[in-house]
Amino acid sequence: MGLSSYVANIGETLGTIFEGMAITASHLVRKPFTIQYPDRTDIRVQDSLPFRYRGLLDVDLEICTGCLACERACPIDCIVIEAEKDKQTKEMILKRFDIDLAKCMYCGLCSEPCPTGSIHHTPEFEGADYSLESLIRRFVKAPVVAYKPAKGPETDPEVAPILTRGLRYLDEFASPGDAKGPATAASAGSAGTDR
Amino acid sequence: MSTNAIDIDVERETPAGFETEEMTLNMGPQHPSTHGVLRFVVKADGEVMRRAIPDIGYLHRSIEKIAEKVGYHGFMPYTDRVDYVSAMQCNQGWAMACEALAGIEVPRRGEYCRVIASEFGRLASHLLSVGATGMDIGAMTPFTHAIREREYINDILEELCGARLTFNYMRIGGCAWDLPPGFAKRAIAFLDRFEPLIDEYNELISFNKIYVERLANVAIVPPEMAIAWNLVGPNLRGSGVKYDVRKDAPYSVYPELEFDVPVGTGERGTLGDSYDRYMVRMREMKESCRILRQALDGIPPGPVIAKVPRTFKPPAGDVYVRVEGSRGDMGWFVVSDGSAFPYRVHIRTGSFAAMAIIEELSKGLMIADLVAVIASLDIVAPEVDR
Amino acid sequence: MQQFADSLLDGGILAGLPRSLGYALVVAFFAFVLLNFIMLIAGVTSWLERRVWARIQSRVGPNRVGPQGVIQWLADGIKNVLKEDIVPTAADKLLFKAAPYLAMIGFFGAWACVPFGDGLIVADLNVGVLYITAVTGLVVVGILMAGWSSNNKWALLGGIRSAAQIVSYEIPAAIAINTVILLTGTLSMQSIIRQQGWAPWNWFLFDNPFTFVAFFIFFVALLAEGNRTPFDLPEAESELVAGAFTEYSGLRSLLFFLVEWGNLYVIGALCTTLFLGGWQVPAFTDNAVIQGALQFVVFFAKSYFLVFVAMWIRATLPRVRVDQLMSLCWKYLVPISFVNLVGAMLWVVAFPNGWMPARVVMFLFGAALVLYFFSRVAFHLRRARPELTFNPIS
Repeated sequence: MGLSSYVANIGETLGTIFEGMAITASHLVRKPFTIQYPDRTDIRVQDSLPFRYRGLLDVDLEICTGCLACERACPIDCIVIEAEKDKQTKEMILKRFDIDLAKCMYCGLCSEPCPTGSIHHTPEFEGADYSLESLIRRFVKAPVVAYKPAKGPETDPEVAPILTRGLRYLDEFASPGDAKGPATAASAGSAGTDR
Repeated sequence: MSTNAIDIDVERETPAGFETEEMTLNMGPQHPSTHGVLRFVVKADGEVMRRAIPDIGYLHRSIEKIAEKVGYHGFMPYTDRVDYVSAMQCNQGWAMACEALAGIEVPRRGEYCRVIASEFGRLASHLLSVGATGMDIGAMTPFTHAIREREYINDILEELCGARLTFNYMRIGGCAWDLPPGFAKRAIAFLDRFEPLIDEYNELISFNKIYVERLANVAIVPPEMAIAWNLVGPNLRGSGVKYDVRKDAPYSVYPELEFDVPVGTGERGTLGDSYDRYMVRMREMKESCRILRQALDGIPPGPVIAKVPRTFKPPAGDVYVRVEGSRGDMGWFVVSDGSAFPYRVHIRTGSFAAMAIIEELSKGLMIADLVAVIASLDIVAPEVDR
Repeated sequence: MQQFADSLLDGGILAGLPRSLGYALVVAFFAFVLLNFIMLIAGVTSWLERRVWARIQSRVGPNRVGPQGVIQWLADGIKNVLKEDIVPTAADKLLFKAAPYLAMIGFFGAWACVPFGDGLIVADLNVGVLYITAVTGLVVVGILMAGWSSNNKWALLGGIRSAAQIVSYEIPAAIAINTVILLTGTLSMQSIIRQQGWAPWNWFLFDNPFTFVAFFIFFVALLAEGNRTPFDLPEAESELVAGAFTEYSGLRSLLFFLVEWGNLYVIGALCTTLFLGGWQVPAFTDNAVIQGALQFVVFFAKSYFLVFVAMWIRATLPRVRVDQLMSLCWKYLVPISFVNLVGAMLWVVAFPNGWMPARVVMFLFGAALVLYFFSRVAFHLRRARPELTFNPIS
């Protein structure tokens, strides 16, 4: 190779190394990006996650109607529900509602078709445990009567807040007739993580 | 394929009369640098390789067979796992295939949301790819910087759909969630921060002489060879062939958006070497930022999802749909027999073809180059094996 | 040290003992002190390297074990010692077990000539520099043995690469040393330092343009000898897992890594001795103890700054491939260092006692380079936008 390209090689090497070292030196004095979970955070991580976060599943049995839509929607059959209609009272009795969290892939397909928002994802993600058995969450301790949605607004003061939250969770999902979406995406004002 | 099928070459005689033989090394499935579980049986003459024979199948999860059991709606989370580095585009591919089968039209806002999500996915995937290339060459710092930027994208997508890696964002007929309030503001803030960082990244590593020397003139793929060996995506464009599914077989709202398709030019070595492929990815990130700004600006109001029955039974027939994934042209072939479960699903991915060309490219390369070649071809194991 | 031993034997604590036994005791004592010092330095260097790396990579690094994580190295050391000692069945057992000790001997022997202050040196040999260069060659034997005896093709590749690299880069290093020896006329470490002054323009670095270039050649060559990035192909993590040391576990692998980190300090000490003025400080007091302590601190600071620069380079640059490494040595460093040597010879003939204006010019040039560097750092800091925080944690 000619002398000029030889010298150019050396010059380019030194120049780019110099520039690269200036960049890394500038990084040396910047704030690090690490969040030192779990003990050196200002607030709990779970409290900072967005409302739509798909963490561990939870079922609010007070508003479960026993429609089995979530069991049908789950692609890996991790939800097992036993519900049967009582012959005399014509009410749905829920005998069993098991979710196998070890199988669940946190896809959210079960919470979408739920009519009341009873099954929903929570911001909890710390589910590690010592035994596989404990990952099967059994939500029905004793047979309960399923919820029957009232014709108008819900009157029971204990169930109403749960239903409100469930419906708010469902509201996040888009639906086909949703012409009332925000006019443009650039809606000023609210920050993202409201609860 | 088992090692029994590999023939061991006979010993050679050197001119001085010594007998030598080739080393057979195993760059096994567990290795700090192969991108996922890939295995190569390397037959090397000291430092120079004769052949590097890939052995795939370590990450095979029979996803295509699972589709026949879970049905059309239920398969959407599985498409995330086909290429978990850029999952949004896989979601879009499957959704488009089902919509083509059943003739469903996605509302305009839904298409815009899909494009926004896909381009963010492309940014994230390219960041990981260039970071991993840097790490394989030996520079650890650009990798962590790339992952740091990827964390911002993960945060943005987390408030969009609730997950950071396996999004399951799209549904047949549109998207599951609309853009949350303030999304565009945050996304634009991220883009404003990110674009100068691409320049900083370039100055740190892409123009670094040592890095250029490692990648330039290594594993040259001329354009005819790229087409003959079925390469797609940045690998094909790095060889100078200007082909992008978003431009040449456009889908969704890409015809309305303005962007360029960067092509390799042999700027530091020969056309089609590893450096070209790497720089094509860096430039594509800038183009993705452009697309994102236009999409966020021009998104129309309206619904994001069309009405699709809970039990989806498309009419019998088959369809082949292509999307531009981060690793290239991803083809989705779905055969339906009229029931609620697909008869056959096949996914054609870019990394599979790239694995095939490695054996051809590895003749005469050094072992240290093999790692660089795998990284520059951007091979991810889940796409290879599905 | 000889005088110290003599003084102890004649009138001090060891009076009455036979000569050789007294010498042996003193030598053993100093070796023990030095070994502790080296282990401490190697350990703290490993911690500092991880913290510096992490900050360059926008993360934090070990900060839990002890205040700011300063005893992380101790925890790692204890963990390594407690690990199971695996010797592969098909490995050559004797060589496998002996290799780390050979590397340690090669590394440890160099410390006999590393100065810490005026009179604070174990043995001021009159061939000090040559001795260090020679003894550190034993490390090559250790690495080669490790690579061969592991019975692992990847380790063998790593060992051979390392041997080729270290042996090749001895040459530019030695020629760069010669450039300085032309000025001093002696190879003894303390004499070289005594001929420099405490002010930067009295250092050999700025003495003439040829020693300036020789410093960079020397530093690069020593980085290559220490298997540090950008020349760490023998232990390239992403290719060969750990190169020559793949099969080692427990205490044996710890010894290899201690050799690598301790070698960083030897690199720093050599560069400081030859180019950066050693332990020279202006004469503040007459008190020998305070002066000695000041010299120790100055020498340590200068060497450790070069250690920090080596860590910083490791975080920045990618790895050089083997054939490029060889071509860098033989096609670039060796010819340039030869030309440099000829230039230095001509300079010494022209200016036998140095030329002050040249020193001042070189010093100003160096200062300008440093200032330009800081201006580039400021530019990058300005261009980087402030961190966005999307989620409200910290």
